[in-house]
Amino acid sequence: MKLFLILALAFRMQDISAQELFVVTDPASNVPAGSLYVRLGQSLFKEQFKTGYNYHLMPEVTWGINKNFMVRISAFVSNRSNQLITEGGSFYAKYRFYSTDDLHRHFRMAAFGRYSFNNADIHQEQIEIMGHNTGFETGIVATQLIKKVALSSSFSFEKAFDNKPDYIFPTSQSDIATNYTLSLGRLMYPKKYTNYKQTSINTMVEFVGQTLKNNGKSYLDIVPSIQFIIHSQARIDVGYRQELYSSMLRSAPNGFYLNLEYTFFNVSK
Amino acid sequence: MKFNKIKTIAILVATVISGNVFTQINIAEIVATGLTCSMCSNAINKQLYNLADVDSVSTDLNTNTFVVYLKKGNQLKPRVLKESIEKAGFFIGSLILFVPTDSLIPDSSNTILLNGSTFILLNEKPNKNDEEIKFKIYDKGYVTLKEYKKLLKSLNIPSYPLNNEDDYHIKFDIL
Repeated sequence: MKLFLILALAFRMQDISAQELFVVTDPASNVPAGSLYVRLGQSLFKEQFKTGYNYHLMPEVTWGINKNFMVRISAFVSNRSNQLITEGGSFYAKYRFYSTDDLHRHFRMAAFGRYSFNNADIHQEQIEIMGHNTGFETGIVATQLIKKVALSSSFSFEKAFDNKPDYIFPTSQSDIATNYTLSLGRLMYPKKYTNYKQTSINTMVEFVGQTLKNNGKSYLDIVPSIQFIIHSQARIDVGYRQELYSSMLRSAPNGFYLNLEYTFFNVSK
Repeated sequence: MKFNKIKTIAILVATVISGNVFTQINIAEIVATGLTCSMCSNAINKQLYNLADVDSVSTDLNTNTFVVYLKKGNQLKPRVLKESIEKAGFFIGSLILFVPTDSLIPDSSNTILLNGSTFILLNEKPNKNDEEIKFKIYDKGYVTLKEYKKLLKSLNIPSYPLNNEDDYHIKFDIL
């Protein structure tokens, strides 16, 4: 019901431009062909079962191979063992297979896949191959821009393996999950563009959920965020993730995101 | 006075011989579809600037209109502009080309051959003395998908549904 209200509200904001450069999810649109996006993702999440914060640093490079296909590599660095240690990495690819565009409007669909490895200890029931588990994820994402409102939703299948070499995935836990996301974004400033040097400010609301296959345990989080686009080329995201509901064990569900991103246009043909 | 006359004749002869001055696109006015954000627009802007034949680009970010000024003597095919926009992740909603009037002389079948491209006229070339003339391309990928589907039904031209890469179906601006 809450979701429905938010959706209804979003459709009423049609006079305001929207963005789909979401903070915790990826839209069906790709990065431009030949361009390189470099991102320094950071998160600071409060530990539930011990004092302190869990800090993750996630450097990422995304490359648009052609107009429909992009790839991304990420590294996972965290302070879980009380010092900054690189625990793993990830390879992600996304293929846009459907596009219908019109003036200030599009509907696009893409299929994506990700493989990650991680050598950290397995400390929660939540499966998260972005920085916690070794495993893979595959799914589809659809993004709609209606007049000036962007809406994006994804559905994926995720499987976790052992965090080799030291940590076996506990047999008591479900190693398979389905993930679902819903993201909304809108441009707050400027009301009217004058040039590329203008700073844009976007706000987003994203919902991220997971259900574990073997025991039906779930969680649902909300991630409100604010984003600054500088010179139409660089990006600063500040977000906060808050658990709305959870029936599974999670070690640090709530916390902040700070992403810095820079685009190098046309580095390859 | 006499010198001026000689100069004029010299320029005329030079242009006729070189041919280049007459066979170029001066300006391309592109309306891109599928975007609202400045970063998306900048991706198109950078793709256009990356083309060797492009001199400068002026953009209206609110309407996503890109006015592309091309270098003198360029032999750019419209297809290159389309590929550029699509590489940025978007599509052309409308493409209007500004060309020297003299470069467009239709043959008996109402077709113009230019720089390896074939322009098939959907209307008569207007009889005006302007130096420059503009026309719009109506092929798939140069208009919105909706517009293309409509044209596919309404246009009774055998070459239109073939979508040949360097064949362009064009209409002159009669205004």
